[in-house]
Amino acid sequence: MNEAVLKLENLSKTYTLGKRNVQALSNVNLQVNKGEFVAIMGPSGSGKTTLLNILGCLDKPTAGLVLLDGVDVTSLPEKELYKIRGSKIGFVFQTFNLLPYLNARENVELPMESLKVPKDERKRRAGELLAMVGLSGREEHRPQRLSAGEQQRVAIARALANNPALILADEPTGNLDAKNKYEIVKLLANLNINQGTTIIMVTHDSNVASQAERLLFLNDGKITREKQGLHLVKKKLMCPYCGGKIQAEDTMCPSCRKKLKYQGEEDGD
Amino acid sequence: MGVLSRAIRNISRRKIRALLVIIALGFCMAIMVSIPAGVTANQESTLALTQNLGSVITQTEATINQTLTQIECTLAPSFEGFGFAPPSSGSSGNMAQPPIGGNFTPSRPFGGGNIPGQFGGGQFGSRGTTPMNESLYYDISSIEGVVAVVPTLTVSQGTNQTMEMFGRSFTRLVVDYVIEGVPLTSVIDEYPILPTNITAGRNLQAGDSGVVLISANNSAFFGVGVGDTIEILGQTFLVVGIHGSTGVEDQLTLYMNLSDAQSLTGNVGYITGLTVFAESSAVVSDVASAISELHPELTVVTGQQRLQQLEAMRRNYETALANAESTLAQTQGTAVQVTIVAVAAASLIVLFVMLYTVRERTREIGTLKAIGFSDWTVMSQFMLEGVLLSLVASVVGIAVASFAAPTLSGLLLPTVTQQVNMGRGVTAATASTGTASVTLTPELVLMALGGAALLGALGSLYPAWRAARTRPAEAMRYE
Repeated sequence: MNEAVLKLENLSKTYTLGKRNVQALSNVNLQVNKGEFVAIMGPSGSGKTTLLNILGCLDKPTAGLVLLDGVDVTSLPEKELYKIRGSKIGFVFQTFNLLPYLNARENVELPMESLKVPKDERKRRAGELLAMVGLSGREEHRPQRLSAGEQQRVAIARALANNPALILADEPTGNLDAKNKYEIVKLLANLNINQGTTIIMVTHDSNVASQAERLLFLNDGKITREKQGLHLVKKKLMCPYCGGKIQAEDTMCPSCRKKLKYQGEEDGD
Repeated sequence: MGVLSRAIRNISRRKIRALLVIIALGFCMAIMVSIPAGVTANQESTLALTQNLGSVITQTEATINQTLTQIECTLAPSFEGFGFAPPSSGSSGNMAQPPIGGNFTPSRPFGGGNIPGQFGGGQFGSRGTTPMNESLYYDISSIEGVVAVVPTLTVSQGTNQTMEMFGRSFTRLVVDYVIEGVPLTSVIDEYPILPTNITAGRNLQAGDSGVVLISANNSAFFGVGVGDTIEILGQTFLVVGIHGSTGVEDQLTLYMNLSDAQSLTGNVGYITGLTVFAESSAVVSDVASAISELHPELTVVTGQQRLQQLEAMRRNYETALANAESTLAQTQGTAVQVTIVAVAAASLIVLFVMLYTVRERTREIGTLKAIGFSDWTVMSQFMLEGVLLSLVASVVGIAVASFAAPTLSGLLLPTVTQQVNMGRGVTAATASTGTASVTLTPELVLMALGGAALLGALGSLYPAWRAARTRPAEAMRYE
């Protein structure tokens, strides 16, 4: 279970703003294993977006290595990168970024099109994925006829279309209300538990981040802290207090009635 | 969902914008299509004009060359109230005595034109219309060097039209047909008096009486053919044949026996012209001066003089040809300029619209690139949109041009009415580019469609390249 999907080695990124050099990332080392659900937190300007762009092959580091599924993507030319993006990474955006003139199914089919998946197969898989995110029967609806939460579900289905090694979610709940926020995080968590999907999520929201398995704190371009999230507990489906069986969506242990929370400094609230 | 159907959906997504763009582009396309059609129409009308004139001159010259020994004697037309008053004949009959220039009477074999009621012409190619006593025949026959004298009577029939000119009111005759009386004796077999081009029936023969040889125009005017009877000024004649015209010919003239014509028109004892045949072309001018000496009141025109007049006509023709060519060159120059402007405008419209679209859809482009679309796919997506817009616009443009092409090319191209004056103010031919029919050929339509596709591709090349170069990272947070 320690198969590395993503490995960062001494990753640095420097931007040149006028005459000033801005160190966005410095010497980041990180390994994300298959089936992990990682949340990256940090204040504005901490380098979250830069890190995510590099992970998504959308930007190149100044120094260091990015090994994605064993491939060093930093050495690949731009025209190879779009293939990597299409086949190995699924993106979930804060603003959903669905194509407004395509219906839900067609939006989910898009990534498969670039991999030349046959039309019937695309249609079948898109239907399956939409059912998986709870949108069966809404396949023909265009984005403007879907709620924000539903749009993000379509976006998640789209991210899963090509069976990527990694899902990169950039503030996936940033534009959602409390109820939908919970629904989307639950969806991601269930995908992680049931399908074993590897997820890296960037978020401001500590409540959202706490649902992940590993929490990484990014500050001034460095990973300053790491702690376990509640998700790990749920993943084992065992209460950390009494050892009793729990369900993934439970917020309190059905046996000992204790509130389920993540381990770390906020322990004992 | 292919690139094509996405392009179509994208265009139809913003209907008003697409409509406005298509209207603007369509207008440019309509101009682009109309201009070549207009130039072609111009070329065709110029060509028709010059060919028509050229053949008229060639035919007339040939006729004159055949009749170099021929001398036409007529009485100079007199002004109203003076000179010989012809006996009145028939209700609409008229011995035409127009105040200026003489009535233009089509006549064989030298015509200045054949337009009824046309002013001008003067003496050139016209038999006289002023009656003179037929006894002149004997005077002239006795002149040395004369081998034959053929008296003719030419009377125009038509309706009078009153018109104002120089503050005076004049009456002019709009000719329906022209009666030409020719002596039907053995002389017609020896000398070219009658038309030679018989299209139906037979020619007049020596000894014929009570019969007529009519022209195609007469045939249509009277509604009769060979073997029918025809009523002229109350008398009935049998139509024996129909003559066709050769060159500038006698299209309104019907031929009959001279004595028939004289009695029919109430001109017994009178003729309007004498065609004199000289022994040889060498003595023509001597004979002509002898006639003038004997009868100074007569207007005498020889084949030589007619050739000189023809030369003047040819010079006019050449001037007209040069004018036509320069007009054509000017038209083509303007056409090139207008086309360049239209192409530039259309390209700029595509360029700006597609740049705007690309800018507006940065996030969409970023998303497509993030989920694995290649630069090429993104680029072809936007180029295809530009091409589709242009193609739709070109269909609109062709539709507009199919009925507005003459108007458009008339507005944009110099419209010059080309005229060739022959002789004294006779307009032999006119051609106006404005009235020329502008037609859209299938080749032109295909070229327009191809051109539009090319233009759309060129106009959207840069925007599409910009789109392809969009960094996918911008999609992540672009608002």
